[in-house]
Amino acid sequence: MRTPKTLLPLALLAAGLTLAACGGNDSASGGDPGAAFAGATPVKGGTISYGHEQEPPCLIGGWVQQAYIERQFADSLVSQVKEGEIVPWLATKWKVSDDQKTWTFTLKPGVKFTDGTPLNAAAVKTNFETWLNPKSLNPTVDAYIGEYYKSSKALNDTTFELTLTKPYAPLLSALSQGYFGILSPKQLAKGPQVNCEQPVGSGPFIVKKWNRGKNIEFVKNPNYNSAPANAKHQGPAYVDGITWKFLGDQTVRYGSLTSGESNVIYNVPTVNWKDAKQKFEVQQYITPGRPVTFSLNTVKGPFTDKLVRQAFGYAADRKAAVESAFNDVIPYNGNGALSQSTPDYDKGLADAYPYDPEKAAQLLDQAGWKENGDGVREKDGKKLTVNLVYPAGAVFSAEGATALQNIQEQLKQVGFDAKLTAATQSEVFSGKYSTPDSYDAITWYWTSPTAGVLYIVWRQNLKDRPNGNNSSFYNNPTLENTIEKANSTLDPAEQKALYAKAQKIIVDEAAAIGLYTQTTSLASEPKLRDVWIENSQGEPVFHDAFFAKEGGDS
Amino acid sequence: MKSVALKILGALVVLWAAATFTFFVQAALPGDRATLLLNQDSGQIKKRTAAELAPINEEFGFDKPLVQQYADYLGGLATGDLGISYQKKAPVTEIIGEQILPTVWLTLAALVAAWVIALLLTLFTTRRSRVVKTLGSGFETLSAALPHYWLGVILLVVFAIQLSIFPVEGGTSLYGLILPALTLAIPLAGFLGQVTRDEFENVLDEPFITSARARGMGDFEVRWRHALRHAVLPAITLSGWALGALFSGAVIAEIVFARQGIGQILVTAANARDVPVVAGIVMVVAFVYVIANLLVDLAYRIVDPRIQT
Repeated sequence: MRTPKTLLPLALLAAGLTLAACGGNDSASGGDPGAAFAGATPVKGGTISYGHEQEPPCLIGGWVQQAYIERQFADSLVSQVKEGEIVPWLATKWKVSDDQKTWTFTLKPGVKFTDGTPLNAAAVKTNFETWLNPKSLNPTVDAYIGEYYKSSKALNDTTFELTLTKPYAPLLSALSQGYFGILSPKQLAKGPQVNCEQPVGSGPFIVKKWNRGKNIEFVKNPNYNSAPANAKHQGPAYVDGITWKFLGDQTVRYGSLTSGESNVIYNVPTVNWKDAKQKFEVQQYITPGRPVTFSLNTVKGPFTDKLVRQAFGYAADRKAAVESAFNDVIPYNGNGALSQSTPDYDKGLADAYPYDPEKAAQLLDQAGWKENGDGVREKDGKKLTVNLVYPAGAVFSAEGATALQNIQEQLKQVGFDAKLTAATQSEVFSGKYSTPDSYDAITWYWTSPTAGVLYIVWRQNLKDRPNGNNSSFYNNPTLENTIEKANSTLDPAEQKALYAKAQKIIVDEAAAIGLYTQTTSLASEPKLRDVWIENSQGEPVFHDAFFAKEGGDS
Repeated sequence: MKSVALKILGALVVLWAAATFTFFVQAALPGDRATLLLNQDSGQIKKRTAAELAPINEEFGFDKPLVQQYADYLGGLATGDLGISYQKKAPVTEIIGEQILPTVWLTLAALVAAWVIALLLTLFTTRRSRVVKTLGSGFETLSAALPHYWLGVILLVVFAIQLSIFPVEGGTSLYGLILPALTLAIPLAGFLGQVTRDEFENVLDEPFITSARARGMGDFEVRWRHALRHAVLPAITLSGWALGALFSGAVIAEIVFARQGIGQILVTAANARDVPVVAGIVMVVAFVYVIANLLVDLAYRIVDPRIQT
């Protein structure tokens, strides 16, 4: 009895800690972890255990988390592949009228929702009307097409006609996103609560049960016959289902992959990136659309002066700050208007505002902000204080916050008194930081498969036509006209030139300063083949995935 | 009889106060609730126009005067209706009902584990050799100060990820319950142990202990049958508080070990200012405190029959 048994756990803990400390040094094996299974023929069966990150409040809606999920159980009209090319999905072909206001879609015949109702033109019409009905509004659909949508009509069972108020060239790109998944009208009629938990589409999987706080159980749709043209095979999924788990903590998520509790996980922690590349099949998706940028407040405070905005750009080594904070996993994006993976992105602006503190100082001198004794510049007795607001938490990871702190230090060296404000999720969403008096700069982004997103972000914010997404409050009629023209031309070369011009205006005016791209990644165990990431929102696709048999020994 | 009625009345007052406080805090925070719902559902942070907000305000009654919203809310509570979640669209009772059991199991497991650890520490390390004593009280002091998040991550990394003794995802299995329960139990055990140790030392000096020893009773029996009974009273009192604290603190273990439970729901609901869900959970937690304190009264009477009301 003299030996206290209760001390055993303590000793174990100490031993375990030592072990954990040397656990990081796994020997580098190099090579392709999936090589043994390359070219394996698809095998049927098995359930994919997928470790995802965030859980949305409902399974359908306008948040990217909902697009990810909708991709599993619903099909969209079209799909987008690299470089903005559009391929058929539920729509086998489409045409647009000469005035670009009427789009006619021919639907694949014989497609049924998983509740047995036919997926016809009338069903597509019901979906458009539901998305844009104020009572069941999908705010993301509304942001893309609300201003353009006029009416929709079922010409016959397989012909759907969409009428717009004005030309909208990025329409097909917009429709390729998971938010635009077509749902069963019969189920939609049952109201929001039912569709929040049990939405019904025509996709490769069916929502069997959602265990809130834990997982979604998907089973395969045995009658699936409507895969997009960019799928690797037609017909039902190879696997029997997916267990879509919510593992919010990144240590748990990666641990569940290494321990074999998950076959595939979302967002590999950047600290585990190198390890994951050696052991697993890793894919990274660089999110197109608006990158993570500083929107500079152009109507109030020091950033009303273009010279000060430009000085802000030159003052800090944003590239180094991003690369070190994200362990070289997430790319720096110097172009403040568009992410490098967006079709029509202008490469020429990739190095906008490189680190040049002398130039920053010179621009500030020119703008009248003079050095004083304590290192903070002053003009007319006012200090050069800028409040940089960023959303803390899941939207802006701890790594992002580290990058901002590095930038803040460098801003101080040229005489900015830079303050960082971490806003809580409920503060940013409730509009606390949506007015010109609430910040000097704010960081945000917008995932989008088209440069047409420029219209959403940069359209002028006018009294009769407010645009709350213009978080720089930057009103420039030339810019708006340029984007609008680009959005209404179908000639790719002309469109590219116009979008390039728009990007140049935003960058030259320093209305937004680029930071980094949102990225998502998947890591899967080598025997799980053909998981892929689609191109519009980075939605994981499991329809083609299968478990390859081990090389003869098991 | 009178005291029972008083206790029930007191409990009702506590519940009402909890509901009222939550309602007003959530409603009065800066920013607009309808804007929050629209923006959150589309990943935007913009200012919304009156036309955009009107249907949401109407749907959830945000356009009514706050006093009336409060009255409607209390009216619902009186009839057992906690309302409908703004965000999840489902009735709050259903959401909580789905999530409460895993949290209850976690809480109870943690409380039991904490007591076992604390009792073993007290029995085997109080008034022992200097080394053992120091180790025992040192462990208590150290563990009482451990932050749950840190401890949870360490347990996870060491025992689940590196040593693979336990599953990484807690899940609902009994086996998966061990690490999350220890995450909550270890700091509490340190705390209960500290309190019990002081009392235990005092009791060991009491004359009745000396006389028990004089009757030839063995050391362990003296400790187990006589001294402990007296020494645990303060810790029992604390357990009422601890049960409530564990229940509301379960969120950290739930997040680290990816467990279902009301803690996770509470965090997302608070972020979304989903008032019915937040208020519902606060009510449940308040209810747990009330019940736990009643149980403590009862336990007191069992341990020490001298106490009468």
